[in-house]
Amino acid sequence: MSGAVAIRCEGLGKRFDGTWVLRDVNLEVRRGEVLGLIGPGGHGKSVLLKCLAGLLSPDAGRVLVDGEDLARLGPLGLARVREQYGYVFQNYALFDFMTVRDNVAFPLVQQAHLSAEEIDGRVASRLSEVGLGHALDLLPRELSGGMKKRVGLARATVGEPAILLYDDPSAGLDPVTSSKIFQLIARMHRADAATVVVSHDIDRMRAVCDRYVMLDHGQLVFDGPEDALGGAPDTVRAFFHDAAATQRRGGA
Amino acid sequence: MRSLVTRPLATVGQAWLALAATLGGATILLGRILRSLVPPRFDRDETWRQLYGVGVKSAGIVVVTALFVGAIMVIQSAFYVRRTGATSLLGYGVGFTVFAEIGPILIGLMFSGRVGANNTAELGTMVVTEQVDALRTLAIDPIRYLVVPRFIAMIVMMLMLMALGDVFAVIGATLTADALIGIDPQVLIDSLLESHLLDEYLLGLGKALCFGVSISVLSCWYGLGVRGGATGVGRAVNNSVVANAAAIFFIDFVMGWLFPVGL
Repeated sequence: MSGAVAIRCEGLGKRFDGTWVLRDVNLEVRRGEVLGLIGPGGHGKSVLLKCLAGLLSPDAGRVLVDGEDLARLGPLGLARVREQYGYVFQNYALFDFMTVRDNVAFPLVQQAHLSAEEIDGRVASRLSEVGLGHALDLLPRELSGGMKKRVGLARATVGEPAILLYDDPSAGLDPVTSSKIFQLIARMHRADAATVVVSHDIDRMRAVCDRYVMLDHGQLVFDGPEDALGGAPDTVRAFFHDAAATQRRGGA
Repeated sequence: MRSLVTRPLATVGQAWLALAATLGGATILLGRILRSLVPPRFDRDETWRQLYGVGVKSAGIVVVTALFVGAIMVIQSAFYVRRTGATSLLGYGVGFTVFAEIGPILIGLMFSGRVGANNTAELGTMVVTEQVDALRTLAIDPIRYLVVPRFIAMIVMMLMLMALGDVFAVIGATLTADALIGIDPQVLIDSLLESHLLDEYLLGLGKALCFGVSISVLSCWYGLGVRGGATGVGRAVNNSVVANAAAIFFIDFVMGWLFPVGL
């Protein structure tokens, strides 16, 4: 990958109630690449993603975005950096008092200083790209899990963010809907955007990810493309093969 | 033996630490709210939504509460009024107690139970469903977008509902006096107007203003501090209701002490 470094973690550590959930994580995410963040459940993937977005403050080390340490930025600086983020949450995190249209328009209304017509046009276009052109006026409670994921994806990408973070985008979805979600992730990827995808869905990640990092008990145990798995520890190879085999069985 | 001494001490110490954390956290939150108001930086659409949700939807329960407050005051006074024949003092008695004391406290408690608890539950649910995190990732300050509109709405509506409640408390008192002890409504109204209860009325509104501040800040503080899913939301709502009730009685005591009226 030749793109500039968008996010860099240096010795990142995070603990909850005295237990270290992340330990000494060193990581780079470059512009133009899609990084797959994998590992067993409960081993720190979502925590790492939240640290990358500045939603959690590190207890050790630091997270740099375009060279700026998130922990040293004030509220305005942090808001400026976050304007380039798009984040798809594992549990959708749609605003339940807003319609689908308002949810997707929200980042544009709050940040982009666009006219109402431009916002309406971009929202309608993005929602039809994710196959929800008919659902503009529905509330989140009227949507299925897959539809909510697609609304979350549309909201995260409508502002054309330079950094995209996906937290388990296929969690709880059937194989067909999961495939559609990953197809959308591939379609939404911009050449100059840095993207991180957390998932267990190795088979589908292969279609979008350029590189993988694996977390095991909060420590980074693998960082490289799938081709480099030969030199990886046994636990990493076993995780890759077991996860892929399990999904294939589930998919079948 | 040692644990018999240390355990109660630890419990008391933890309770004090929790109180200090709440007071400190709520004060910092109030500071951040006030900082967002100068110059005004908050979402106007959300403020209108909150004004409607807090005010219009609470009007019914406040009217009913106020009618009963006025009626109860008359029932409590009826015995003495009948015995002494001091019907001309009934308006004063009702006005004094309703405007300055019982009205603000009962309406404050109803407001806290309906609006404050709902607010804590709503914000707490937004925290556990990551909606607050979603705001942050969209570079939107949750204080500006969620808390400040609620703060404004609760203060404005607490004042308006208090004024509305005073009117309906007098109506409740008048109807009850007429029906129960046969006092002509005009006599009670005249007695009320001749009593010059402006100080009591303003004190009641002052208390309502302070209740609005404490209910909004405490309910938002507990809502945004939720941890641990649905159980955490339930615990936060419970804590919020208890803290708001305690704050209402404390504020009422302090204001009654600082601004004595009717002496």
